[in-house]
Amino acid sequence: MGFFPDFPIVTPRLILRPFTRGDVDAVFDYRGRRDVAFYLFDGPLSRDEVATAVQQRVVQIGWNEPEDKIVLGAELRETGTLIGELSLIWRSEEARQAEVGWIFHPEYQGRGYATEAAGAMFDLAFRDASIHRIFARCDARNGSSWRLMERLGMRREAHFREHAIFKGGWDEEFIYAVLRREWRDGV
Amino acid sequence: MLRPFERQDAAHVARYHVLPTVQRYLIRPTRYQEDVAGAVDVMSAQRGLQRPGDTLTLALERKLDKAVIGHVSLRWSDATAGQGELLFAIDPAHAGNGFLTEALTAMMNMAFDHFRIHRVFVRCDGRNHHSAKLMQKLGMRLEAHYREHALFQGEWDEELHFAILDREWQASSKVHPLPIRERVA
Repeated sequence: MGFFPDFPIVTPRLILRPFTRGDVDAVFDYRGRRDVAFYLFDGPLSRDEVATAVQQRVVQIGWNEPEDKIVLGAELRETGTLIGELSLIWRSEEARQAEVGWIFHPEYQGRGYATEAAGAMFDLAFRDASIHRIFARCDARNGSSWRLMERLGMRREAHFREHAIFKGGWDEEFIYAVLRREWRDGV
Repeated sequence: MLRPFERQDAAHVARYHVLPTVQRYLIRPTRYQEDVAGAVDVMSAQRGLQRPGDTLTLALERKLDKAVIGHVSLRWSDATAGQGELLFAIDPAHAGNGFLTEALTAMMNMAFDHFRIHRVFVRCDGRNHHSAKLMQKLGMRLEAHYREHALFQGEWDEELHFAILDREWQASSKVHPLPIRERVA
């Protein structure tokens, strides 16, 4: 059974909405940066690569089957600036699992925007999509990412050491998770 | 003694292989006695690690009476990162006697020394305290504790991952290297 939510999702300071082709410059502004790419599988993207990525995202607005993604841009309500993106991937139909991810422009970090946006994604997954468990992963060195996971009430469920190669070195990874009944005291 | 499976082991294997408590991490789960021979065939074909994804399975034969009381497997899960997974099962009637500790120690030695695996991991049911204790006894570290991440036989699952790296295993093995000494003369 698929899931096609209504957009946009409006939070106190943000609008979460599907990507459009006009977002290429704004996305290139953060995905082209070396510091943003440091913990991502991809290196910094060229403008052409960003254009292709945005093109793909335009249609990632619902789930037909497991492994489908919903990818939304986070836009400041006040100025209309696109400051980052969030993804929600359907990992298991039977066990109702989803994986969440986010990438934000460093210039807009530290103001709680990611927490606000991720919280809205959790509401969407738990309340509207009846997901049972949401998990997220990040490089163990990516403190701003795992601290956000902790702020969201996620629990560190895994700390893998040297279980894979990441960009030519040993990888160290955290996996965080939260259950539906634990989120906002059960939604 | 650890040795590859033979077809005639099916009678011994049938004593534990169909038990509900043993099913979880079997290479080929078996609900019925008539499926055991097929599982033994699969296990007896797993005699080496040629390429990633291959599994080596050995029977645990008790020296005393040559009874097969369980098995251990090493699955080469990833070549680039040198990852191996250990899987095992033992007849509950023979559990708690240290047989698994012996067998897993031998498998770990083989994984690190012979196959040059970088990291060995084990998954087990979060409610299986015997397995968890055994892993800790072997010096493995708890790296993951998943809660309700999957369904198993219609119920929410809880799973633990234990792991150990090659350098940690060598450091804790019984055979200590000679201490490095100051050069004399």
